[in-house]
Amino acid sequence: MSDDDLERQLRVALKPAHPGADFAPRVLARLAAEERVPRVRLPRSQAVAGWLTFGLAASVLVAVLLAHQWQVRRTEQGIEARRELLEALRVTDQKLDLAYRVVNAPPHAAAPQHSGA
Amino acid sequence: MSADEACASGALLARANAGDAAAFGALVRRHQRLVYSLALRMVCDRHQAEDLAQEVFLQLHRSLDALESDEHVEFWLRRVTMHRAIDRLRREPRYPPAPLAEAERVVSESDAADPLLARRLRALLAELSPAARAVIVLRYQQDLDPVEIGRTLKMPVNTVKSHLKRALAQLRERLTSMAGAVQ
Repeated sequence: MSDDDLERQLRVALKPAHPGADFAPRVLARLAAEERVPRVRLPRSQAVAGWLTFGLAASVLVAVLLAHQWQVRRTEQGIEARRELLEALRVTDQKLDLAYRVVNAPPHAAAPQHSGA
Repeated sequence: MSADEACASGALLARANAGDAAAFGALVRRHQRLVYSLALRMVCDRHQAEDLAQEVFLQLHRSLDALESDEHVEFWLRRVTMHRAIDRLRREPRYPPAPLAEAERVVSESDAADPLLARRLRALLAELSPAARAVIVLRYQQDLDPVEIGRTLKMPVNTVKSHLKRALAQLRERLTSMAGAVQ
């Protein structure tokens, strides 16, 4: 089948069709019926968009709360770690001080024990 | 369209926009063949096509104040019909095939030289993707060129051309293989 033949056959196959004489009255009847019904429900797409917005807002709120809680915990852990470090430094300082004093103590304190030998 | 006709259709649009139901009915009658034909060749089912066409006209009624002329209405109707049809086909890819008697009625309406070939072509069209089908329908039913098809479907012209080329090749190949199988 040539290109022209195929295009001609497509034009024939897709030739416009008529919907029937009472199509317009059916549209008008459906329009009248839709106008009689009060629009209390949102169209589906709007309802979905509403739920999506709500879900998104809730997720953001939960994320902010979790982040805040995490931040508070981290701060508390930092304060505790600082306190432990200061305590360790303080103990180390005491021990070093004691060791210094022992090392630098005058030797005469031990001498009387060996004087009789 | 003559100047008188254009003026009359503009007046019709204005009256319909002002809430005149009779004028809106006249507007529906003026464009029903266009909308129904597009819908029918897209969804391949008379009942679905009628439902789709009605929905398009209901949407037209809600959008009348945004439309300026009869040409604008026609362009708008083409665009909305095709987009609604594509959406439907994507949601529900294949409608059940029409009963034989109904299919024959569709064929007899088209005055096809070869009714069987026309039916085969329509069946093959139903196997194309919704976008490719839309391009073929607008090209061979509405005689739109690729630029107008692109504007209607909001599609780049090169994409339109590529859909046309591939769809025609696919149709030709399927028709040839079907003819071979028959022989």
